[in-house]
Amino acid sequence: MPRTRTRLPRTPLARTRLPFAALSMASASALLLAGCSQSSDASEKAGDSAAPAATATGKKPAPFSEGKVKVALVRQSGAGDYFEQWGNGAKAQAKALGIDLTVYDAQADNAKQATDLSSAINSGAKTIIVDHGFPATIQPEIDKAVKKGIKVVVYDVETTNKSVVSTKQDDASMAQAVLDVMAGELGKDAKVGYVNVAGYAALDKRDSVWKKTADANGWKQAFKVGKVTDSTATDNVPLVSAALTQHSDVAGVFAPYDELAKGTVLAVQNKKLQGKVKVFGADVSNADIQNMTAKDSPWVATAGTDPSAVGAAVVRTAALELAGQLNKTSVEFPAVAITQDFLTSKNIKNMDQLREALPALDLAKVSTADWIPNVAH
Amino acid sequence: MTTTQSTEVPTKAALVPATSPALRIQSAVIKYGFIFVTVTLFAYFALSEPSFRDSATLLDTLRYVSVAAILGLGVTLTMAVGGIDMSVGAVAGLGVTVAAKTMVSYNQVGLVAILAVIAAGALAGLLNALLIVVLKIPDMLATLGTMFVIQGTKLVLVDGQSITPGMTQADGSTAPGKFTEGFLRIDRGTVLGVPVSVLIFGALTVVAWVFLARTRWGRVLYAIGANPEASRLAGIRVGAYRALAYVLSGVLASIGGLILASRIGQGDVSAGTSQLLEAVAVALVGTSVLGRGRPNVWGTALGAVLIGIITTGLTIKGLPYYTQDVVEGAVLILALIFSFTLSKRRTA
Repeated sequence: MPRTRTRLPRTPLARTRLPFAALSMASASALLLAGCSQSSDASEKAGDSAAPAATATGKKPAPFSEGKVKVALVRQSGAGDYFEQWGNGAKAQAKALGIDLTVYDAQADNAKQATDLSSAINSGAKTIIVDHGFPATIQPEIDKAVKKGIKVVVYDVETTNKSVVSTKQDDASMAQAVLDVMAGELGKDAKVGYVNVAGYAALDKRDSVWKKTADANGWKQAFKVGKVTDSTATDNVPLVSAALTQHSDVAGVFAPYDELAKGTVLAVQNKKLQGKVKVFGADVSNADIQNMTAKDSPWVATAGTDPSAVGAAVVRTAALELAGQLNKTSVEFPAVAITQDFLTSKNIKNMDQLREALPALDLAKVSTADWIPNVAH
Repeated sequence: MTTTQSTEVPTKAALVPATSPALRIQSAVIKYGFIFVTVTLFAYFALSEPSFRDSATLLDTLRYVSVAAILGLGVTLTMAVGGIDMSVGAVAGLGVTVAAKTMVSYNQVGLVAILAVIAAGALAGLLNALLIVVLKIPDMLATLGTMFVIQGTKLVLVDGQSITPGMTQADGSTAPGKFTEGFLRIDRGTVLGVPVSVLIFGALTVVAWVFLARTRWGRVLYAIGANPEASRLAGIRVGAYRALAYVLSGVLASIGGLILASRIGQGDVSAGTSQLLEAVAVALVGTSVLGRGRPNVWGTALGAVLIGIITTGLTIKGLPYYTQDVVEGAVLILALIFSFTLSKRRTA
């Protein structure tokens, strides 16, 4: 189960350069499982219930004042827990704004994403939102779109075009949110372990926050292990177990990516160190919530964004850009800390319940205006 | 004798005296039903969606289907000899990897990459031929086997990673090359406004049609497909011709891979896998064109165009991809009814 719900569907790693083999297999398994996994039920409901939109008070600017506005959403993949919820949020927000949203889903077929983007350019869309994709594949099409005067907003895509609005999850804020909790729990001068891998943009950003925070608190890093593979969670268990054999006296372990955190949790349990070693992870999903709230789970805190809220915020960003009111080329979505105590005390079992209990996840203040009806959850 | 079937099937339709109007209508439905469906769908989308009738959209549609169509031509050749090549998607994917490896890791020019990819495709075809002709494994099973082997091989070649310019390689060095401008033009370039990949699709269609319908070799392939034993008794070297069909299929699939590689612009270990079913589907849809009831080149090309029209049209209409699968599947079944049920009933 942890293996099939791997990183592509919901972690920020998918956009980075390396794990394409893993990515393709993960997406294949995600596609296979999308129909039968428990989480897809929850996300379907989320899509339906995400509709209640706050009413907007302001006067709509052009072109929104002139009726339906055509926008295209070109996705590398829409399958899996994370991307389904992201898509539901985007569709709900588009509906609330009076946007005629055409969704192109390449189903993880990169060649198709290139021709999808090309079709979107010819479809007469005023704005194109590009969700993930290989830069080498989509950059030429993005340039074409910009040249034709189409506004382009990308999510988690590295782009060289200066006219493109770039949106992404704020990885630094994600790491900071967890590390603040960790500092509160462990105090100064604690002996700690670290599970991370270099070479992935998202993880590297979390790494730099880790170094700063560890220094500031005088933490002693007893070990650093970790690797990203086709089944990251299980493949990290032996590594972390070995490290914990040598350093069973660490007070906490930071594993800033949920697959790494899952592996660390298993290793801590293997060594029967739960209760002594606390695990601090990153990212959040239905599976992660279940992992954190399981009996005797050492995973005490994580941080994440709500994919549905992120999808909605990306559409709002595109709307502002089209109305000429955005006035910036980069929007980052901050993450929120989520602790085990919070989850258990509120009896939270999935993302839907988390959204209700933690309104900070809804990104209501990001990319909004008085004429935009935010979709609430 | 069935060997005479290798000459044109429609002539047989002409031999059936169209005595009753009902029979004449049925004959027309079988012959033109497919083209009617295509034209109707096209007209429907063109009238209801202004952006659909834009020439840029139409060229995009052709560009999108060019890979499945070219792979479908290979499938058509192997279906002509009574087999089927299930490895075409994997071979196209292998082409993407070989192209990336040649240019990015070994810093070679585009022409070298093209030759390497086509050589890899021919080798894959030879492997299929070996299994099928020499080792007597049934076509579909043998090519399913090679599909897995090739998918695995392309991952072994690159340690399971997609090759990108500037990546750190297994030995710690940085990849020296990139996709050359010339190579990228295979899919991204245009001649007189028409994408090069569409021109390749058109040219290969004509070449394959001449080969299969207008040369002795083509007629021999059909004869083998209709009755291998009779062909053998007639002095045809059945094994050699079947091997030829698979090698050509491998080469065509690798050309599809070249287009994919150019479209993606970097290595992509997952490329090609989605192409197999579309390639087989267009070849099967093609069997119903003009009521031939057998694999034929124009049918495959038109089948690809129809699939493209459906995909593009429904996307513009805002239907999600899974409903497109339903519609495409229904069209395939309809085509098969034209090909098998109706034409059998007529000739019975």
